[in-house]
Amino acid sequence: MSSIDNITLPPISNERGTLHPINQTKDYILALLAEMGFKEVHGPEIETEEFNFDMLNIKKTHPARQMHDTFYAEGKKNVLRTHTSPVQIRSMLNRNPPMAFTSAGKVYRKDDDATHLPMFHQVEGIYVDENVTFANLKDIIHQILYQLFGDNVEIRFRPSYFPFTEPSAEVDILSKKGKWLEILGCGIVNPVVLENCKINPNKFSGLAFGLGVERIAMLKYGVDDIREFYKSNLDFLSQFK
Amino acid sequence: MKIAYKDLLNLLSKKPTKDSLSKKLFQLGHEHEVYGDVFDMELTPNRGDCLSLVGLARDLGVFFGAPKPFDLYTDNIETFDLDFENLSPFDCPKISFLEIEVNESKFDYQPYLENYINLIGNKKTNLFTDISNFVSYELGQPTHCFDRQSINKKLIFENKKCNGPFQTLLGTEINLKDLNCVFSLGNEIISLAGVMGGSSTACSIKTKKVLVECAYFNPESIIGKSIKYNLVSDAAHKFERGVDIDSQEYVLRRFARVVQDHVKIKSIKIKTFSSNSYQNLSIPIDVNKINNILGTSFREDECLDYLRGLGFGVSNKIKVPSYRHDIKTNNDLAEEIARVVGYNNIASSPINLQQIIDCKSNIKVKKIESLLTKHGFSEVINFPFTSKKETESINIDNPLDTNRKNLRISLKDSLVENLLYNERRQKDSIKLFELSSIYSKDTKINQQFRLGIIISGRLANNYNDFSKKLNYKYLNKILNNNLNTNIFEINEISRDTLSTKKKDKIFYVEVSLEDIPDNILSSIEDEKKAIDFVSFKPVSEYPSSKRDFSFLIEDLSKVDEVINILDSASGEIIKNLFIFDFYENNEKNSVKLGCRFIFQSNYKTLSDLEINDKALEIINPIIEIDGVSIPGL
Repeated sequence: MSSIDNITLPPISNERGTLHPINQTKDYILALLAEMGFKEVHGPEIETEEFNFDMLNIKKTHPARQMHDTFYAEGKKNVLRTHTSPVQIRSMLNRNPPMAFTSAGKVYRKDDDATHLPMFHQVEGIYVDENVTFANLKDIIHQILYQLFGDNVEIRFRPSYFPFTEPSAEVDILSKKGKWLEILGCGIVNPVVLENCKINPNKFSGLAFGLGVERIAMLKYGVDDIREFYKSNLDFLSQFK
Repeated sequence: MKIAYKDLLNLLSKKPTKDSLSKKLFQLGHEHEVYGDVFDMELTPNRGDCLSLVGLARDLGVFFGAPKPFDLYTDNIETFDLDFENLSPFDCPKISFLEIEVNESKFDYQPYLENYINLIGNKKTNLFTDISNFVSYELGQPTHCFDRQSINKKLIFENKKCNGPFQTLLGTEINLKDLNCVFSLGNEIISLAGVMGGSSTACSIKTKKVLVECAYFNPESIIGKSIKYNLVSDAAHKFERGVDIDSQEYVLRRFARVVQDHVKIKSIKIKTFSSNSYQNLSIPIDVNKINNILGTSFREDECLDYLRGLGFGVSNKIKVPSYRHDIKTNNDLAEEIARVVGYNNIASSPINLQQIIDCKSNIKVKKIESLLTKHGFSEVINFPFTSKKETESINIDNPLDTNRKNLRISLKDSLVENLLYNERRQKDSIKLFELSSIYSKDTKINQQFRLGIIISGRLANNYNDFSKKLNYKYLNKILNNNLNTNIFEINEISRDTLSTKKKDKIFYVEVSLEDIPDNILSSIEDEKKAIDFVSFKPVSEYPSSKRDFSFLIEDLSKVDEVINILDSASGEIIKNLFIFDFYENNEKNSVKLGCRFIFQSNYKTLSDLEINDKALEIINPIIEIDGVSIPGL
C-alpha cells in the first residue's frame, strides 16, 4: 500500500514570462541581418525636420510632411520620427564607406484606425560601397525573405516611389491563399542622399530597405488585427513564449 | 482614381485584355484594384502625370503603342484682351484663359460624357463644369469655369493674406486664414486657386458664356490647402502632385472640342499669360551609368527604345517630357528602363558584406529581458501619448486628440493602466515590464531609456504560492538581493485614486538603464532562445468563470491517476486548469487536492449549465476511482 511518504507531488510549473511579440520579431530580423553583416545603430525618436526629411530628399511639398501625416512637436521645431532612416543618416555622416547598418525601433505617423496605428516599428538596412547595384539589392531582399518565409516563397518586385531611393521598389510575397501581400520597401540610395551625407555619389552607391515589424509579426503569428499587439492583454501576450 | 478599361482601350493602338493591362500596370508601378471594368488606381505621389487617362496610356504605350491623339478644336482661336493681372508669378508661372460663348444651354450629353459621369458616380451639374471634370479625367489638367457675366472687374491672381469667409461653389462656407493663392475681383475673393472656385462666379445650367481658367500652379503653393479647409478637391490633388507645365492651350482646345460636340459655339477666344517660356530638361545619354545602377548590361539602342516608348525625346541627349517632373537624373532613367524591362526580369546578383557582429549595445537589455521573463514577467509596449502635462513634457503640435497631446515622461501611468486592464479581465497574478525611451525637455530635449516594472496579485497559480501575494519582498529579492545591489527603488502605488475595487497591493519600479551598472547583470545568462512563430489563437472578449473542486484521495496509489486525468483535461471552453492546493494529511494518510478550472468561450458568455456540464465531464472519471471523492458532493 502506498504511504504518504512516497507519493509524487504534482509538478509546479513556473510560468515563464514573454517578450513582446513585436520585439521578438524585431530581434529576429535584426539577428538575421547581423548574420549577413549589418551592424545595428541607434538614434532618437524625436528628430529634426532636417534629419527626418531634408537629408532624405523629402521635399517640402511631399505629402508625408503635412501636419495630417506627421506629428510635429514643440512648435514645429521637431517631429516624431516617421521612419528609422534618420538614424542611418546620422550614422553615415560619422563614417566612410563601405558601411552596412540596420536601424530599428518605434516610428510615428498621424494615423489611428483599424489597420493603422500612430506608433509602429520598423527595421531598416542600408549598405554603401563601390558598385552596389539594384541586382545586389534583389539578392539581399531574396535572402531576407527566404529566411523569413521559407525558400519556396514567391516574391514580386514592383516599382514604387520613395524620395530617398531611386530606383525604388515595393516587394510582395504570394500568400497561401494566392494573394500578393506587400512586405517591404527598398531601392538604390538616391545620390542626393549620399551627397547630403558627404559621400561621393560618383564613387559610391548604396542599397536600402525597410520592413514594417507589425506586418511581419502579423503574418508570422497569424494575428489579423494590428491593435491586438498594443492592448497589453496577458491572454494575448502569454501565447508568444 | 477610377479609370474605365474601355477608355484605355480606346486610346491604345493594341487591344490588350483587362488581365494583361492589369499586369502591365503593376509592372510599371501603378498599384490598383480591379472592380468589374474599372481600374481603381492608387498612384505614387511622384506620378502626378499619371492622374489621368492619357497619363496611364502614355506609360502603357511602351507595351501597347503610343496613345492616339484626342480630337481637338482645330479652327483658329483669336486672342483677346482680358483685364487680368498675375501678382504672384512664382505661384503661377503660366495661365491661359478661354472665353467661349454658346448658343444654347444643354443638359443632354454625348454618351462618352454621360459614361464618364456614371463612372465617377457624380450628378450632372452643368455642361461647362461637367466638361471641365471630364477633360481633367482625360488629360490630368484641372480647369475652372467662371460664369463670364460675373467677371465684371479686373481679375487678379495673388498669394495673399486672407482673413474672412469664402463660399465655395459647393455651398460650403470656409474661413480663409493666412496666405492663400486666390483669384479676386476687386476686394472680393472669387476662387481658392487650385482647390475650389466660389459660388458667386460659378456656372449654372443657364450659363452660355464662360471663362475657362487653365493654369500651372506651383505644387508648393497649393499643398495642404484642401486639408486645411476640409475640402475634397480632385484639382488640388493633381496640382499638389504637379501637372504638365506646358499643356494649357492643348487642354483648352480639347475643352472647346467637347463643347463643340454638344452645342454650337458662337464665339471663342484665348489668352495666355506666362512669366517665362518652358525648356524641357535634357539628360546626357550614359548607358554605362544606367547599367552600373541596375547591375545589368543593356545595349544603348535597347535603352533608348525603352525611353522612346515612354515618350522621352531621344537625340544626342534624353529630352524629358514636360509632364515628367519626377525625372532629373540617370537614376531616374535607370528606374524607367527597369520598369519597362520589369523589376522581376532583372537578375539578382550575390553580394557579400563584411561580417560585423557587434551587438554590445543590446547586451544590457537582453540580460534584463532574460531575468524578468525567467521570473514570469511579460513585456508590454505602450504608446507614448498622454493627456497629462508636466513642465518637462514634450507637447505635440498636432495631436490626434486632446487626450494625446503630450509625451509621457514616465512609464508608470501606462503600466498601471495595463495592470488595471488585466485585472478587469479576471487576471489575479500580474507581472509586467516595459523598456522604452522617455523624452522630456528643459533647455533641450532629453532622452532616457527606462525600465518600468509593475506587480500585483497572487504570487503564482500553483499550490505552493497560491495563497501568497506579490509584494515588496518578492520584487526586492529578484532585483536587489539577487543582483547584489540597492539601485532598484521599489514603491507601493496606492489604489485610492485608481478606478478599481481590487485590494491587492501594487508595487512599482522605474529606473533608467544608464543607472544600472553592467557588472550587476553579469551573473544573468542571456538566454538566446530561437524564436518560435507560434500560431496565435484569438483572445476571447467574453467573461471567464472559475470552478474550484477539492478532491479527497484516501487511496494514495491513485494520486498519480487523478493528476494525470486533470493534466489531460481538454476542451474548447477550458481556458486553464491548475492545482492550487495539495495537502498531505499524515494522520489520516490521505491527500486533499484542490483544483481550479477556468472556463471561457470565444463565442459567447457561458451559462452555468454549460460550465457545470463540462466540469462534471472532467471530474466524473475522477470520483469514479475507488478511494477518491469530493466531500459534500
